[in-house]
Amino acid sequence: MKAKINNLLSSIFEHKYIYLMLVPGLAFLLVFKYFPMYGIQLAFKRYMLNEGITGSPWIGLENFLYIWSEPAFWRAFKNTIVISLMKLGLGFPIGIILALLINELKMKKYRRFLQTIYTFPHFLSWVIVSGIIFNFLGNTGALNSLLENLGLGQINFLMNKGIFRYLLVYSEVWKEAGWSTILYLAAIAGIDPTLYEAATVDGANRWHKIKYITWPGIQNIVVIMFIMTVGSIMVAGFNQVFNLYNEVVYDVGDIISTYVYRISFQQAPDYGVSTAVGLFNGVVNFMLLMIANTVAKKFGKSGII
Amino acid sequence: MMTKRKFTVVDIIILILLTIFGLAVLYPFYNAILVSLVPQHVYAESPFMLWPDEITLDAYKQVFNDQTLINGMKTTVIVTFLGTVYNMLITILTSYALTKDIPGRKFINYLILFTMFFSGGLIPYYLLIKNLGLINNILVMVLPMGFNIMYMIVLRSFFNDIPDALEESAKIDGANDFIILFKIILPLSLPILATLSLYYGVNRWNEWYHGMLFITSPDIMPLQLVLRNIVQDASKFLQGNTAAMANVETFSEGIQMASVVTTMFPIMMLYPFLQRYFLSGLTLGAVKS
Repeated sequence: MKAKINNLLSSIFEHKYIYLMLVPGLAFLLVFKYFPMYGIQLAFKRYMLNEGITGSPWIGLENFLYIWSEPAFWRAFKNTIVISLMKLGLGFPIGIILALLINELKMKKYRRFLQTIYTFPHFLSWVIVSGIIFNFLGNTGALNSLLENLGLGQINFLMNKGIFRYLLVYSEVWKEAGWSTILYLAAIAGIDPTLYEAATVDGANRWHKIKYITWPGIQNIVVIMFIMTVGSIMVAGFNQVFNLYNEVVYDVGDIISTYVYRISFQQAPDYGVSTAVGLFNGVVNFMLLMIANTVAKKFGKSGII
Repeated sequence: MMTKRKFTVVDIIILILLTIFGLAVLYPFYNAILVSLVPQHVYAESPFMLWPDEITLDAYKQVFNDQTLINGMKTTVIVTFLGTVYNMLITILTSYALTKDIPGRKFINYLILFTMFFSGGLIPYYLLIKNLGLINNILVMVLPMGFNIMYMIVLRSFFNDIPDALEESAKIDGANDFIILFKIILPLSLPILATLSLYYGVNRWNEWYHGMLFITSPDIMPLQLVLRNIVQDASKFLQGNTAAMANVETFSEGIQMASVVTTMFPIMMLYPFLQRYFLSGLTLGAVKS
């Protein structure tokens, strides 16, 4: 026992500089990631400005009972899930299809040029992208002017409840699909080229090769990406929605994170209630991520943990 | 057996599809640039433009005539510089330390990963920042970002692949861990360090959220937040600035797009030249696992 402790101590002493290197990172985590978790107790308290987090009185589940009776909360809850599922169903496959198409393009230089264009919007903020979208899709914008010249009439893209969710899906495709192909194309690049040569000898056509060589080659990474996206269903994209939405489309576009922001910083804020919404969302999100991670591991590839 | 395949109909269809998607991505940018460069009457005539009939820099003059955007730019340049150095320093130290088999490493790994799955939420975070006295402090756009866990994992696996023999010979010569990291490991890791610095830099350049939550003083608002205010409501921005330039027509779409173009200009200019670094990082981490 004593020898064990001595071993441990000498190992720690031997690595003293390594521990020193960990100090800034751990200090950051404790202050900015772990300390806020102490404030979660506000979900079960009535926040009093003068009393602070610790001194405010406990009120049990009152904040939760309040939010569960609040239609705006359930609206946000539903929108979060619906928008995420739409992105998963309509947006997610586009990245894969795009990657497969890029892989089939024979002109290498043009291919690189296209990839430069496709991936560029990923590095811009939603603030910039929303600025471009407002101008481009606005009532007096370029697209509506084109539609009108073609005799198709105006479409109010930005303030239409029927369109807004599709605007979210396809603006994300526009911004991120190119970026998502990078992973798939890297996986394709890792496929043994002799497989394709052998297939050619055996008389396989392009479709056969995609179906029997390329697709199996990227299947694993597709599954992982899919599972991880499912795991983050409760995060429908604050930056995107917050920069694109407006009061007219709250019914279909307000998600939990934008809802929390509004009840926290507009109107008369109740910090207890806001924290309760955040905690509810956080717990559901946590469970989904854990499930996703476990499932991802089952597929033989590493999850996040 | 390797014969060059012919250009078939399918090839042409693929070429057309990919070109259409390329144009769909590119055109809105092109259009935004045109809107920022034409006078109002040209835009009013036909907002869908392929070529500008007339070019003017009035919108840019108006944008730069107002102090708000210039202040935002100063703030964002400082935030980007400080933030990237701070992010890289923490990422490098943490990644390297976690390649070593030290007592407690597993616990520290879990401590880090848990924060990916769960967080305190908006209000506790807000109260923390307030208690730390970081409201209206430019450091609020730097300090809370620390390191990105995915980037840390990528860098850690890169460090792991560097042969141990290099470190051991330095150790025999009496070098401590800091000297080994900075003199031996980092010089071997320059491409990946460049990639991660770019990512962190772009991320800090795009900062607006912390500015919106914690900065109320117009002097230190980040550029993206100033842009957000202009994009959401150009009239607010114009009030301060029309008096000074009474002879110029106020063309709000032009001003909005001039602000957008100005804000994305550095990324637009760097991107084609540094594309190799921009695109390499993601695959480095993914293909390994």
